[in-house]
Amino acid sequence: METVREKAPENQRSREDIALAAAMVHDVGHGPFSHAFETVGKRLGLKLADHEVMSDELIRNGEIAEILNNEIMNGFASNVANMIKKEGKITLHNSVVSSQFDADRLDYMQRDRLMTGSKHSAIDLTWLLANLDVGEVTTGIDDTAVGKIPTFVIGPKAIQAAEAYVMGLFQLYPTIYFHKTTRGAEKLFAEILVRLVQLVQNEAVGKTGLPSEHPLVRFAQEPEALESALALDDTVVWGALQLLKGAEDNLLSSFAERLLNRKLFKCYDVRAEITHKCDPHNSGDAQNVAQIEKSCASVVLKLQEWQKNQEGDVPRIIVDVAERKPYKPSGGSNGHNEQINVRTDGGELIDILQRSEIVRSLSVYKLTRAYYDPEDLDARKAIFDIVEGEIN
Amino acid sequence: MSDIKINEVVSIVGEAGGRVVGRTRLQKIAYLLTATGLDENFEFIYKHYGPFSADLASSAEFGALIGNLTEEKTQTQWGAVYSTYTVDGFQPPEVMTARGQLASIAAASDSIELELAATAVFLAREGYDDPWEETSQRKPEKVTPVRLQNAKALLIQLSQIAVPQPIPEGLLQ
Repeated sequence: METVREKAPENQRSREDIALAAAMVHDVGHGPFSHAFETVGKRLGLKLADHEVMSDELIRNGEIAEILNNEIMNGFASNVANMIKKEGKITLHNSVVSSQFDADRLDYMQRDRLMTGSKHSAIDLTWLLANLDVGEVTTGIDDTAVGKIPTFVIGPKAIQAAEAYVMGLFQLYPTIYFHKTTRGAEKLFAEILVRLVQLVQNEAVGKTGLPSEHPLVRFAQEPEALESALALDDTVVWGALQLLKGAEDNLLSSFAERLLNRKLFKCYDVRAEITHKCDPHNSGDAQNVAQIEKSCASVVLKLQEWQKNQEGDVPRIIVDVAERKPYKPSGGSNGHNEQINVRTDGGELIDILQRSEIVRSLSVYKLTRAYYDPEDLDARKAIFDIVEGEIN
Repeated sequence: MSDIKINEVVSIVGEAGGRVVGRTRLQKIAYLLTATGLDENFEFIYKHYGPFSADLASSAEFGALIGNLTEEKTQTQWGAVYSTYTVDGFQPPEVMTARGQLASIAAASDSIELELAATAVFLAREGYDDPWEETSQRKPEKVTPVRLQNAKALLIQLSQIAVPQPIPEGLLQ
């Protein structure tokens, strides 16, 4: 914020207050196990499982709104919510809340490596902040330019720090956020929650093992009610697992047991296997890369088809697909700015992609995995056969 | 992950004339088809760039990899990259359906005005009393009097098409 204060064209104290409040409350709407809960919401169309929707509700209409509107000024809560949603007037202050150098990212990059004990992905925060400057960049939608918006840019002396920042953020994905064991547990969690909500909504609470007044049951009954969503957190889910273990429903009982006792599904790395076969020396040849992508996509569809044709109500193969771009050049196609611009010694703004060979050479991290019960030899064989059939 | 619907996304691009410029434009075409009851394959949520379906995005990606869809990426003068989707071996339909009419008009429209129009429809469906005003509040950097007028004109044009769920009357005033 000091950088904004120094560089902003005029004194905008109210925008500073809004940005500070927005940075503090932007994630209040996260449900239990954060992003894993969001996948449940997406599958079932539960709006309040989306942390952005929930945060917006809480900031505009909840206890937070009362505090912001009464203690600061009337209408302040809406201003905060608008800035988080990237709506309304765009000023440099928006960059504190959402940009490549927003407060959240600079914070979680350090916090997550600390809390997981990881030693890589270190960033030179002091140097980055000392070299933050401001500039104006063009944004657009698809092929149409919208206009210019102010944003943070990096001074010429911090190019190495910015490179390390891009690489560090990128590396957190394969090593922490997309760790195969964590993702495996998240998959089981998501299956449990989806089944639980479906059972409750089909008047079958008795099959869940949970009492009718349990917060998870109430949420399933009233997913649009703020109070029922607010009652959920990690501890509610952990506590429920013991009860779900005794559920009449097979999926709930078996997957709850697995999560409690860490008997997770085993991960088969489809992409690694296909890459090994299609491009054993990791040449990066365009034809090989195209073949890998096609084969992975084809395997995913075949695995989903195999799972659909299975009898029984407990998934035997769970497919996981995700990707992370190390750096998104330009404003992309959504009219907002996600790029890192570097100010040259001559005062020009150029995209870090043009300035840094390191950033330019980073490839997109993609995962294509299949999770299965290690004792389910048929499922294991099905995965092996489908992958083999694709690459031979 | 959710079901991949390659044929469904190929169908949308096909109905739009076999070519759609831009991921945002594809999203808004699909949303308008959905909002008017002409498509029911994708769920949409609100993002700061208007209605968005993650399933549609991943289906388009899979469609370009192993389906009849080609995605070509082009760099703009200001450094952004946008996609152009084409249907391989596209044959124009002999009879234009309501889906085809709506999709092709939307595909030919300005992407900013299309986003404004789709956003207003989404907000109307969400129950906002004055969706155009709400759209203006949310997207001041995109809204100009001319764009707003053109977005409204676009919806008026689309409202001439017979659809199961007409565009809300209030948006056409």
